[in-house]
Amino acid sequence: MELELNTVQQIIEIVGEDNVLTNLEERICYSYDGTFQRGIPELVVFPANTQEVAEIVKLANKEKFPVFPRGAGTGLSGGSIPMSSGVALVLTRMNKIKEINSEDMLAVLEPGVITGHFNQEVEKLGLYYPPDPASLKTCTMGGNIAENAGGPRAFKYGVTKDYVLGLEVVTPQGEIMHTGGRTVKNVTGYDLTRLLTGSEGTLGIITEITVRLLPKPKEIRTALVIFDKLEDAASSVTAIIRNGVIPATLELMDQIAIKCVENFNHLGLPLDAEAVLLIEVDGGKNQVEEDIISIEEICQNHHCRKIHIASLAEEREKLWKARRAVSSAIVQLKPTKISEDATVPRSKIPEMVKRLREIASKYNLHIPVFGHAGDGNLHPNILADKNNKEEMERVQKAVDEIFHAALELRGTLSGEHGIGIMKKPYLQWELGEVGIEYLRAIKRAVDPNNILNPGKVF
Amino acid sequence: MKDMDKNHFESLNKCSRCGGCQAHCPIFYETGREPFVARGKIELLENLQSGKLTWNDKLADIFSMCLLCGACAENCPNGVPADKLVMMARKDLVANNGLPIIKKNVFQHLLRYNGRLNLAGKILYLYQKTGLQKLLRISRVLNLMPNDLAKIERLLPEVASGSFRKIVPFRSTVDNPRLKVAYFTGCVTNLINHNVGYSILKILKACGVEVIIPKQGCCGVPAFASGDFTTGKFLGEQNIKEFAREDVDYIIFDCASCLSTWLDYPELLESEEALKFSDKLMDVNRFLVEILDIKIECPEIGKKVTYHDPCHLKRTENGKKAPRELLSRLSPAYEYVEMGLADRCCGSAGSFNISHYRLSQKVANRKVKSIKESGAEIVTSACPSCMMQLSHALKNEKSDVVVNHLVELVAGCLQ
Ligand SMILES: Cc1cc2nc3c(=O)[nH]c(=O)nc-3n(C[C@H](O)[C@H](O)[C@H](O)COP(=O)(O)OP(=O)(O)OC[C@H]3O[C@@H](n4cnc5c(N)ncnc54)[C@H](O)[C@@H]3O)c2cc1C
Ligand code: SF4
Ligand code: SF4
Repeated sequence: MELELNTVQQIIEIVGEDNVLTNLEERICYSYDGTFQRGIPELVVFPANTQEVAEIVKLANKEKFPVFPRGAGTGLSGGSIPMSSGVALVLTRMNKIKEINSEDMLAVLEPGVITGHFNQEVEKLGLYYPPDPASLKTCTMGGNIAENAGGPRAFKYGVTKDYVLGLEVVTPQGEIMHTGGRTVKNVTGYDLTRLLTGSEGTLGIITEITVRLLPKPKEIRTALVIFDKLEDAASSVTAIIRNGVIPATLELMDQIAIKCVENFNHLGLPLDAEAVLLIEVDGGKNQVEEDIISIEEICQNHHCRKIHIASLAEEREKLWKARRAVSSAIVQLKPTKISEDATVPRSKIPEMVKRLREIASKYNLHIPVFGHAGDGNLHPNILADKNNKEEMERVQKAVDEIFHAALELRGTLSGEHGIGIMKKPYLQWELGEVGIEYLRAIKRAVDPNNILNPGKVF
Repeated sequence: MKDMDKNHFESLNKCSRCGGCQAHCPIFYETGREPFVARGKIELLENLQSGKLTWNDKLADIFSMCLLCGACAENCPNGVPADKLVMMARKDLVANNGLPIIKKNVFQHLLRYNGRLNLAGKILYLYQKTGLQKLLRISRVLNLMPNDLAKIERLLPEVASGSFRKIVPFRSTVDNPRLKVAYFTGCVTNLINHNVGYSILKILKACGVEVIIPKQGCCGVPAFASGDFTTGKFLGEQNIKEFAREDVDYIIFDCASCLSTWLDYPELLESEEALKFSDKLMDVNRFLVEILDIKIECPEIGKKVTYHDPCHLKRTENGKKAPRELLSRLSPAYEYVEMGLADRCCGSAGSFNISHYRLSQKVANRKVKSIKESGAEIVTSACPSCMMQLSHALKNEKSDVVVNHLVELVAGCLQ
């Protein structure tokens, strides 16, 4: 389909000429996200407020063009990719933090606010918004809600959905709706807030977000533990949890990941170690001390080589830098990154790690493993070259097996990146025909013209 | 982009489209638009490379929107040198279309904002004086607006009378000099701010160093940055030739951009000859601290001073450390305070502040905010272009913070 000139004109009237991009050269810059998927939109539009969003969606229903919501475009499942048609609706201009309320312990903000910026503003007031995707310096809160983003701290603090209290949403037909509210308890009607959180831009456009906040933890300690054997690192993870220690984060990096990061950042990680764990505990002073001692003991019992412990913010940031860099740094191996986030119950981490290694050697592929080991959310990434057809076929087979393994261990296809385009073919494995039909029924009911982010999820 | 060299092509391939550069690019920060961030430019370059796009005005415009500040490259987890890639793209554009972006920019943007051309005018003046303007073929553009040019000329009260290099002797020496250096004065010191040059001569004399000022031209950075490698190479080769005439211990620079261009000469000029100089090139601040280990008896003045990191200096060896060390040696005359985001680009970027005047001022205003918040009465730097940009922006904001080159403060303490 092609946008009529007249339609373009109407969109320009809604948002103003400066906020519409029509040139191919500019539109190409909205054809990608953090995956290797591509689709050039016919128009890129930057609305300023809820009203403008609603008007565009209404127009879309009238003229029947698809609308692809987009935040910062850091998604890892192809969720914001325009399917070579329609409008890319970029929400980054709507970036105001409207309220941070210390009494009600909540904040109200627009979807374009950058997560890391929000974290900082909240912490200035002694409050805390835990979800911390590794992309936090760039990704938007709207994108986080739409993907139900997680992050290292999810192990202790949960994921985005555990903090969303209420939303303002433009429905797929262009109406403005409010869900939830400003209270932690709320059972009035279906839980639409939860339904929309993680709906990947297919059920509504999020235009305002109310999130719950916590008090900022008093003390934080970070430990970087080096292991000669990957298996020992994995079993340390389960042992720590079994011993009743709940670290805020428990991150794992395998040898390939270590090497890639070291290549660039020179943080002094040992290149011959098979794995490192990055463990952070927070809370009251005594608790933190106790926890760190237990962790040290457990890791030593599991034959770790060395432990660094940092308490100053600066030192901790240095340790974290390595972890945050991994996801991007591994493309040094090969240019195309197929980033999976299959997740298993936490006790199955050692088994999953073992299977991933087998899959890597079976198909002769680079599959660095890193991720949120504490909550079972590993990030096996397959590195390949998309121009190499034969290799890509092997990748396909490996992906299939990874998903099989995760489901066999009673895990899930995706812990936090969403289904988007990339995992569509596998959805049925997990949900079955009945499950998928249920999703479809919901989509059809609220979006009869299939306007919002068509071609995604199922 | 067909003949892109292998290295650059490979670094294109390294970009994972993670979007991390959004958090560091000053232009993205102001515009929020993806074509202006490294990730977008890399996608466009890939399209150019594969032939899906060809150069046109829009694309040229997009590629003109970059400060070459290197913040993206410095922070990229994959080490994608996006700034270098942009420069290569500009080179390719000039090679293909023979039309310097500068010319277009002058047409499109300069004429629109000619009411506020104080700083821009100065730089245009520079272009004229250095003869660069002829080489860059912008003379035709300038001829199109004789009235504007006259206005611009009238906006130039602070331009020095004549060339610094013509006023001072070729050689300034002392009895039994401990070292001998050649001084590359750069265009701004030569034509606009002589005091920086005099300060350096005074300091080096006091330290017992012999200074020669060889014949020299522009380092070529405006040309390279605009993709005009022919002009850039011509200038670079001339400079190399002149500086090879007499052997010295070091070649010193008061301008971060000149220094970084010299450091890049081996690659830019593809010249073995240039490689021989590499170990001798040194920012004057670093020279004073590391080589001379200068000790200064300072009067007690107690003024608060802050420091702005020029993009081109901060990435060189000890480029962040040395100037701060020098400043701290000026205590108790000056009390050094660090400003927030000291290493963020000021938006000057050669001719960017002419071609994209408004945007450049927006970038500069962030800096002005940091300076004001630091409470400093003086802001120092080590790059005359940054200094012009800062003065202009501070004046626009009606601030009375003074802008000085670090060496000016040092020389002042040597009463
Ligand atoms: C280096 C790197 C590290 C990452 N680390 C993590 C991590 O640790 N944890 C994690 O969970 N994810 C991670 N991600 C993935 C990604 O950052 C998250 O999915 C993030 O939530 C996407 O936000 P965004 O603003 O970039 O959204 P986009 O990529 O622009 O969009 C993502 C999806 O959200 C939809 N959307 C965006 N805004 C709205 C809105 N206002 N209303 C409705 N729908 C909308 C889009 O249509 C799309 O389906 C990482 C990505 C990268 C590149
Ligand atoms: S240039 Fe670097 S930081 Fe930017 S998207 Fe590419 S890999 Fe990420
Ligand atoms: S060099 Fe500076 S201005 Fe240019 S893309 Fe990189 S960060 Fe942005």
